[in-house]
Amino acid sequence: MRDVYVAGIGITTFTRLEFALSEIASYASMMALKDAGITEVDQVYVANMGAPRVNHQTALASAVVDSLSLTPAGAAAIENGPASGGSAIKAGFQAVASGMDDVVLVVGVERMREVNGLEATDFIATLTHPIAEYIYGVTLPAHAAMFTRLYMDKYGVTERHLAMVGVKNQNAALNNEWAHLQQEISLEGILDSPEAMTNNPYVAEPLRFFDACPVSDGGAAIILVSEEKAKELGRPMIKISGVGQATDTHAVHEREEPTDLLAVRKAAADAFEMAGLTPDDVDVAELHDAFTILEIAESEEVGFFPKGEGHLALERGDTALGGKIPINVGGGLKGRGHPVGATGVAQAWEIVTQLRGDGGDRQVEDASVGFTCNFGGFGNNVVCLTFEKEA
Amino acid sequence: MAREIYAYKCRLCDTMHYPFRMVCKNCKQNDFFEFDTVPLPRDGKLLTFTRVYNLPPQYEVPTLGLGIVELENGMRMLGQLDIDEPKAGMAVKGSVEVVREETYDDFYGMVFRSA
Repeated sequence: MRDVYVAGIGITTFTRLEFALSEIASYASMMALKDAGITEVDQVYVANMGAPRVNHQTALASAVVDSLSLTPAGAAAIENGPASGGSAIKAGFQAVASGMDDVVLVVGVERMREVNGLEATDFIATLTHPIAEYIYGVTLPAHAAMFTRLYMDKYGVTERHLAMVGVKNQNAALNNEWAHLQQEISLEGILDSPEAMTNNPYVAEPLRFFDACPVSDGGAAIILVSEEKAKELGRPMIKISGVGQATDTHAVHEREEPTDLLAVRKAAADAFEMAGLTPDDVDVAELHDAFTILEIAESEEVGFFPKGEGHLALERGDTALGGKIPINVGGGLKGRGHPVGATGVAQAWEIVTQLRGDGGDRQVEDASVGFTCNFGGFGNNVVCLTFEKEA
Repeated sequence: MAREIYAYKCRLCDTMHYPFRMVCKNCKQNDFFEFDTVPLPRDGKLLTFTRVYNLPPQYEVPTLGLGIVELENGMRMLGQLDIDEPKAGMAVKGSVEVVREETYDDFYGMVFRSA
């Protein structure tokens, strides 16, 4: 298997975007192509979840590859729920590692604000089990809420811990010009003051408004290349050293221990094993905080902290910029936004930015090993990646 | 006939499944739909729950109670809750009712109330 490097990255602002879906994908892609200094690729993978349903568009990859004048390169869309981005990176990795392609563009994109919030919630809810979950009115916030309650009862996580994750990540987004939320929040404003319950109402008890990521439009792109091509292009040598993907039961109630996220555990362990790294080697991590509880739970399952102690690490400041293992320093899904298909690629974008030392006010000092966890379904399809900077 | 929600029992190894799956998760040999249907029990205890405020557009109610219940045979299922103040561990009893209405279809599922 050949080594695979990231030679270019690009991103759009995550917000409500009044552009066609393929244009959003193309903007991010153009930045990545320019960053890498190339105008041709062998293959394009487009990560997207909602085009057919939300944007009434199918065969999105054909639109994107032509819009970028990259024809006759191969092109395909990858739909894998909220893990579409990570899955497309994995496909691109395999294409380069196998020797089949030398240059692959991976772009993730979503335009969810084309419909109203309730319809967007319903669109995401269609990833749940059709008969055992969806028909009951289950939404992703509902799944996260039921998971949170179990976590609270078992491990002593409180609403304050959840709010601390929200404050940390939303305020981190202030250092990221591409992030959706650009408003500073405080524990006082969303938890402690008399107005807090008005500012921060329940979405699905015990989760509140500020425990959930926003509904965003946006795109993110990376260029994957072989070692030979990477050296030729002369960009910083950022290697994807580990790739892990794992699945779990479709219906959440079928899991033996409902507080375990076994797919996260296995995907992370596989990525670390492939890279020859351990969780302690990681300098900066992007975890899939679609809901605040997920950052806490994933920080345990990927191996940064013992099970049940993620909230204690949060209290100690271990996960903040300057802490032992800074998590979501670019805002995470909570602050950056969560255009579903784009998220896994945006996580890679942030890690590459960090490993290049281009993080500005959010730069993690001397970052040379990065990690991403892209969480699909409610934990039923997860992709983890490790990134390493080479001298 | 009373409406039921069924578990699926593998004829090769007796493992029970809910919801239906095509291949038994235990013996993995059952690839020809050899399952017996067994009605799910109605009695159970509430494991976890939520009240949802942002509902899909089909729901014309302000909030909806949902929970995961451990049934008396040890299996689990998700259902709607018609309980004012749910508590983890409380005894509940299910009833099969319409849980989602769409233009040409009514979907039936389990609604749990305090036992």
